[in-house]
Amino acid sequence: MNKNSNQKIITQILCIAWLIFTLFPLYWIFVTSFKSPIAVTGGPTYLPWIDFEPTLNAWHDAFSGSRGDFFATFFNSVWISVAASLIAVVFGSMAAYALVRFTFKVKLLAGVVFAASGMSCYLLAKEIFDWKDTTSMGFAFLCALILSVTSNRLPLPGPILRNNDVVFWFVSQRMMPPIVSAFALYMLYSKIGKDSGVRLLDSFAGLTLCYVAFSLPLVVWLMRDFFESLPIEVEEAALVDDVPRWRIFLEIVIPMAKPGLVAVTMITIGFVWNEFLFALILTTGDWQTLPVLLSGQNSYRGDEWWAIAVANIIAIAPMLIITILLGRMMRSGLMLGSIR
Amino acid sequence: MAQVRLVSITKKFGETTVIPGLDLDIADREFVVLVGPSGCGKTTTLRMIAGLEEASGGNIFVGERDVTNLRPGLRNCAMVFQNYALYPHMSVRDNIAYGLKVRKTPKHEVERLVNDAARILELDSMLDRRPKNLSGGQRQRVAIGRAIVREPDVFLFDEPLSNLDAKLRIEMRTEIKNLHQRLKATMVYVTHDQVEAMTLADRVVVMKDGIIEQVADPITLYENPANTFVASFIGSPSMNFLSVKLIRKESTFFVELAEGSKLKVPESMNKRFEPYIDHTLTLGIRPEHLENAGEAHPAVANVQVNVLEPLGPHTLLLGQIGQEKLTAQIEARSNVRPGVTYPIGFSMDQIHIFDSKSGRVL
Repeated sequence: MNKNSNQKIITQILCIAWLIFTLFPLYWIFVTSFKSPIAVTGGPTYLPWIDFEPTLNAWHDAFSGSRGDFFATFFNSVWISVAASLIAVVFGSMAAYALVRFTFKVKLLAGVVFAASGMSCYLLAKEIFDWKDTTSMGFAFLCALILSVTSNRLPLPGPILRNNDVVFWFVSQRMMPPIVSAFALYMLYSKIGKDSGVRLLDSFAGLTLCYVAFSLPLVVWLMRDFFESLPIEVEEAALVDDVPRWRIFLEIVIPMAKPGLVAVTMITIGFVWNEFLFALILTTGDWQTLPVLLSGQNSYRGDEWWAIAVANIIAIAPMLIITILLGRMMRSGLMLGSIR
Repeated sequence: MAQVRLVSITKKFGETTVIPGLDLDIADREFVVLVGPSGCGKTTTLRMIAGLEEASGGNIFVGERDVTNLRPGLRNCAMVFQNYALYPHMSVRDNIAYGLKVRKTPKHEVERLVNDAARILELDSMLDRRPKNLSGGQRQRVAIGRAIVREPDVFLFDEPLSNLDAKLRIEMRTEIKNLHQRLKATMVYVTHDQVEAMTLADRVVVMKDGIIEQVADPITLYENPANTFVASFIGSPSMNFLSVKLIRKESTFFVELAEGSKLKVPESMNKRFEPYIDHTLTLGIRPEHLENAGEAHPAVANVQVNVLEPLGPHTLLLGQIGQEKLTAQIEARSNVRPGVTYPIGFSMDQIHIFDSKSGRVL
């Protein structure tokens, strides 16, 4: 008995120590945001009213706009991360569901046809028809798509890619360093802007599209696991009852996968909210997001830590709130009673 | 209401043939049970009728319609699954009504059908509960309710009772039988439990390795099994099989057990067995056709008693004759003790003789 309770006390002490360890940075940022410059530069101070006299100056500065437009940037981040996550989750979960419940057979040669015809059609359009870059690319993409889909129906020899390969292909999009595609994307966006006048650089649509593309692999991969864990009999019962597929997906599968959807949405919002590289390269001012503004704080007027702390809190708070709100919806046990 | 006809149905999963070719006619309003050990293709067959599994060959008819290439929803079958497969986020009422709503059945009609089903299945008081707040038996009743309101041509049951505990299983068994008598619908029922098969079925289909071993009503199946597989699968405890030699002494036929006892074969069977004189055959006899041998018993063999299992109304004697195992059903109060050798009488008019190689009944 005695040994047992000792162990309990030690465990509790260790837990509390770990809690302090993890929460301290948050506390540090929080108190620093209320410090005056003297309280920061004159050696470490920890407790308001005892170590230093708290002041709202740093918060005033942030909201007055003297350190960058926090309001606009904050809402840029909100709109872009919410829009990108929703679009990615909607399309990603549909793709994931299809990959779980239907069999795909893609011939490797059809993929080769896509690559080869894509490149040759681009060259054809660009060099011989002398079309603009963007037009040539669109043309090449369409041609490659039609040719490869058609050739997939022909009895081509060679290996056949199945569902798992398709998923791997999705995930492989995230394997190369993002900087590789970031510059390519910059070039593409600026070309499209020049050729067609559609503004993608430093725009809501451009950044959102980019984030959708880079979130999709993750969403597909995670949602596939969630859908796979759902009992197929529930869907079969509906199939026998002549419920159309789209209604099975919307009215039965989605409600059952709700905890998964919420979790994946949160992860995606977190990813987009914190993303820095694409935001830095693809925006110049109007649609800058919080990470870019935050990184600029250091050089804006020197390392004014009280101001940086305020900026940090503005960036962290929404994610904390989302986690607390949505975390409740992630509780398990939703499937209870369906089977067994 | 409709009959179901399977015409040389085959099923392959990749290279593996699960069902090499199966023909089965199920009459209108008939209750047919597919039974067999796991992996015998009974569930696959049911799923092919439902359309959840595509047949690799052959044709499936429901009523007069060829439904082989129709999607499941158009076959007008209702299916009840082993794990209930309820919609977890819907109330009992919505679970039952969902299919009707999707098919745009008028509201008052939905109401009437749901209430009828709830009354039949005694779910009235639970219509607003979620599946997770129901017991296993109640959940399965909801699943059956979902099937009833469909008013289907055929009911398909895929081991619906195997997740329930023993007592509930017997209750639900009776309910399903009642339901069949009440709805007068065609029902196809899959189970691995031979007792369930016997008690429910108008006709039992015994399957093994994708092949139908015998189709018959339960009593015929019990009394006249077509082969050793059916004989051993139907009946509990299982039929005993003993290796015997058929011999003739003048005009009387005997079977000679491996350890030497000779048992007289009833004269009525002589004609049937005549071609097999001096063949080595398999004798099948059910435990309930073995008894404590009185002094005057005409067919007796000595059994080495290993274990006794008192069941109340009678006691099971597990022992062996020579090297061959034997189970006998003896009187509850007898003075047998494990370890002794005990004379057991054979009811010779209840014996079955099988070909040792093919297992077919002679």
